[in-house]
Amino acid sequence: MTNPYEVLGVPPTASSADIQKAYRKLAKKLHPDLNPGDKAAEEKFKQVAGAYGLLGDAEKRKRFDDGEIDETGAERPQHKFYRDFATSDEGHPYADNSGYADFMDSDDAFAELLRRNERARANRRGHDLHYRLPIDFGDSITGANKHLTLPDGSALDVTIPPGLLDGQILRLRGKGAPGSGTGGHGDALIEVEVMPDPRFTREGDDISLELPISLSEAVLGTKIRVPTPTGAVTMTVPKGSNTGTTMRLRGKGAPRREGGHGDEFVRLKVVLPKGPDPELEDFVSRWGRKAFNPREDGAS
Amino acid sequence: MTMTRQQFLTNADLDVKTLEFWIEQHWLIPTETTTEMSFSDKDVARAHFIRDLKGDFGVNDEGIDVILHLVDQLHGLRRALAELTRGMPESSR
Repeated sequence: MTNPYEVLGVPPTASSADIQKAYRKLAKKLHPDLNPGDKAAEEKFKQVAGAYGLLGDAEKRKRFDDGEIDETGAERPQHKFYRDFATSDEGHPYADNSGYADFMDSDDAFAELLRRNERARANRRGHDLHYRLPIDFGDSITGANKHLTLPDGSALDVTIPPGLLDGQILRLRGKGAPGSGTGGHGDALIEVEVMPDPRFTREGDDISLELPISLSEAVLGTKIRVPTPTGAVTMTVPKGSNTGTTMRLRGKGAPRREGGHGDEFVRLKVVLPKGPDPELEDFVSRWGRKAFNPREDGAS
Repeated sequence: MTMTRQQFLTNADLDVKTLEFWIEQHWLIPTETTTEMSFSDKDVARAHFIRDLKGDFGVNDEGIDVILHLVDQLHGLRRALAELTRGMPESSR
């Protein structure tokens, strides 16, 4: 930093009134907020303000004159200037477009550009807002109405259409951030996360389910209740069913795009009772066809 | 960053009476909700500017009105010019 007297352009003998006058004259010319487009002005202004911080204070000036402090001794704390904020974003309460309003009335190309900008700014659509919504597997098949509470405390009613897949995005028109002028609101984009269900697996429009049955149900056949996304239904297990036997419940799957529904496939699994069962052992040892070998037909 | 009225008074180094007068003059326009005012960093910078004008430059209240009006127009022009040089604003691309 150079000599503060030189910066202010006053002799070392100048009175405090002269110093203040000199400072005001320079500062008015150099203040960054009065020179929004001049980068160099800020640097010069800082020098002038620093010099005045030193010489404008009688005590500091005396200490400087006596050589007790140097010219860096009185730098003012720096703050951000208004110009750093003023142009950056739009729609703030201080924005004023009257400085070129008259240009927009003329017919030349420049005026047209200005007008187009102005319209776009005045009528800008709001931003889209993104959300995630976890739903149950059952709701993803049958559809549902969900209430989504937003971070700001407001709520959105979301209609989950039947047959929705994990990761699918629902667009709620006009439920996003507000726009300006006639721009309207943006959209709310809701990514749906389908929570897995331990029972069901989805394959396209069909769903499948593994259903345990007892040995006697497998051998003798029975009617049992089977869960489906729309509630349990009764299904007939025919005599002589086996592990791997697959039954089809028509129309109990997810809705098809082209209409109708997929199916639910129920794969049976024969389960023996837990633990040793002397009665069963006794019965099987007396079973007439104990010589039956399921590996005979090449299965082994 | 937004701040409460009390935080703003500290950051801008203002007293309550001065702030009320500046708001009355529309030199400062805080965001008002139903219950309170909130201020931004931009408001702080604008307050510093007004203080420089009044304190260091000896501008009186009528002068502040004139200067702020011209400076706001200047920034409006600068923004329009910046958008024109950058091309069209996002939403019309």
